[in-house]
Order: sequence, then C-alpha cells, then structure tokens
Amino acid sequence: MRIPIRMIGIATTFFWLFLIVFFVSAVYSVKDVRFDFEDPQMGLTADDKILFSLPMTIDNRGYYNIGSFNVTTEISDKQGYIITHGCTFISVIEKGGQTIATHNMIIDMNDLLQNSQDYLFNDTKLKVHETVGMELAEVIPVQISTNLSIHWGAPLYNFVLGEVEYATSNRTHLTVTVPISFENHAFFNLIGITEICMYNSTNASLGRGETTIEALQNAPYRGHIDLTVPMAGMTENGYFKVYYSTSFFNFGPLVFPYD
Amino acid sequence: MTEERRGFRETLQKFTVKALKATIKGILLYGIYLVLTIFLTPVSEIVPSFQHTIETFVMIYICLMVVGELSAGTIFQHFLSAAKALFVIIYLIFALGNGVISVAFQNVNIVVNLRLFLVIAMLLSLVGFAKSMLQTINFLNEKAEPPHI
Repeated sequence: MRIPIRMIGIATTFFWLFLIVFFVSAVYSVKDVRFDFEDPQMGLTADDKILFSLPMTIDNRGYYNIGSFNVTTEISDKQGYIITHGCTFISVIEKGGQTIATHNMIIDMNDLLQNSQDYLFNDTKLKVHETVGMELAEVIPVQISTNLSIHWGAPLYNFVLGEVEYATSNRTHLTVTVPISFENHAFFNLIGITEICMYNSTNASLGRGETTIEALQNAPYRGHIDLTVPMAGMTENGYFKVYYSTSFFNFGPLVFPYD
Repeated sequence: MTEERRGFRETLQKFTVKALKATIKGILLYGIYLVLTIFLTPVSEIVPSFQHTIETFVMIYICLMVVGELSAGTIFQHFLSAAKALFVIIYLIFALGNGVISVAFQNVNIVVNLRLFLVIAMLLSLVGFAKSMLQTINFLNEKAEPPHI
C-alpha cells in the first residue's frame, strides 16, 4: 500500500507545483501587458449620428494569451438616462503580439434632445461607467471597472435673441433684424442653419428668415437674421419661432416672445 | 548502562536527522515563498493585505510541516499531515471566500474570479487529506501485523 500512497503524494505535489507556477506566472505576466488608449476621435456616421472612436493598442508581451477582452462604456446623465453604450470585444489577444482595436460609441443627438432640451442650452456633468474585462491566460477572469464624470458642453449655451431692429424695406414691408448670440461649449464645431419665423399676436405668420451658423467649439457666436415682414400684419407684440438644423440634430421650435 | 547510552545516542541521532530534514524542508519552502513573492509584487502593491495573508499561510504551513517531520515514524505524523491538508482547505475558504475577489483601488474596482483555482486547490487538498487518511490506516495496519518469523 505504500507505493500507491507515495504515487498519490507525488502526483498531488506535481499538480500543486503546476497550479502555483501557472497562477503566479499568469499574474506576473500581466505586468508585460500594455494598454495604450489614443486620443478619442469624433466623426459622423452615415445616418448623421455622432461617432466617438477610441483607438486602442494592446501589446501582450506576457507568457499567455488573453481571452475574451472586452471594453464597455456606458454614458448616462444624472437622472440615469443612458445616452450611449459602446462595447468592443476581442476574442483572443495572442501572446507576443499586438492587437489594435477601436472602441466606438454612437450618440444620437435627436434621441438625446427628445429626452431633454437641456443638453442644447445648459452645460452638465455626465456619468461614465467604464468596464474592462479579460481572461488572463484564458482561464482567470478579471474585470476592472471605474466611474468617471465628464463635462457636457451645450452647443447653444446662453442662446438669446437680442434687441429686434426694424427698418423700412419699402412702402409695404419692413426688414426685421433679429440678433442671435450663443456660446458653443460642445466638443464639436456647430455648422448648420437657424431659421426664424415671426408671428403676430393673432398667431398669423408674418415672415421667415434663415442664416447659416458656423460656431467653432468653445467659441462665442454672434450673428443676425433678417426677415421681411408686411407692415399690415404687425402687432405690438407677438413671438418668434426658432428652428435649428445641423448635421448632428434638428430642433425646434423654440418660442421667444417680443413686444 | 552501555545499552542505555547506545539507545539514547540512537534516539538523539534519529531526532537530529529528523530536525535536519525538517529544517531543510522549512528553509526550502520559505525560499520558494520568497521567490514567488518577487513575482507577486505587482499584486501586493494593489492589494496590501495579500502579502500578509500569504505570509500567515506560509508560516502556519511551515510550522505544521516541521512538527510533522519531527514526529515522523509516529501516528502524529499522519494526524499532522491530515491537519495540514484541512488547514489548506479552511485557509483557502477563509482567504478567497466564494472565489471572487473584489478590490477597490482609488476609483477603480478590480474583480478577479479565482473560482477555478479555488476548486482545483481544494480538490488537491482533499486528495492530500485522503492520502493522509490512507497513510494512517496503513501505519496502524503495519503496527498491528504480527511479526514475521
């Protein structure tokens, strides 16, 4: 009976050694794995949605392959509304190799504005939940997660219509000049069309005008829109309806009363 | 008187060999632990309690091993061997819980799933425990066997 017992002892010792060496080397080889995240890039998808791309390079110089590598990003607002969700999955990162991938996230501004108009006019903080998961040596699952807070800059921050100026165009019509100003706090350049429709106190449409706006990111914008309106329809007060149309979103009407 | 002295000398010689064997095994195991510590330094930097947990485990394990070696040739050797296997199982459960370790490091939460490692380690410990039981039975069997004429 001694020999079988001894054999069991040798076998368990061998398996213990294998287990410990494998575990330690798998953990140790993590230090030779490099994750490089390059600067995020922004673009437009074919259906005019904002596309965030985060190019990343995973350089696996460790002793083992890395399995089921995934990066998940979830951006939500203070109320918990999920603005965007992105997931990138790489089944195997070979040892001694370099893997290049792009983590994409798509933001649909029109969907966002349906949830709240505040995103257009007010800066706010957004919550980012970032999760990176992988299987070390393809058998030890590891998940790293963090919560971040990012700044959301409103593209039409402090949008106001200035003092309306009236000038005679001809005997029957007036030229109404409506100054517009705002600050583009967004991370993108705002290029689009602003359209203003003028109504009198009886809700009758008096005229409309539009202008092309080009507001660089983090820059103020000042411009004006000219409308030709009939004198006959003018009343002491009324309102303007403002519409925005950009490559990222369409929004309106926003009502501004005048008197 | 000479018989007594010879007996004492033999006992001392046996004990010295056992002590030497225990010392060598202890030093060897501690050496392996020190080498492994170097490789596990990145983990210790993130999880400060990791080093302490491993150190405590190694200390108790070496103590049990040394006492087991000193009691070689007696039934206590097998009891201590079984205790050693049980200690490994209990300590693994104590240290790893359900096998999912969660560590918060600044704003980052790291979750490591060591269930597979835990299961294999516990199975190996159970095999070790079974081996100790078999050794005990074998030891008692040999003691009970009538001497061959």
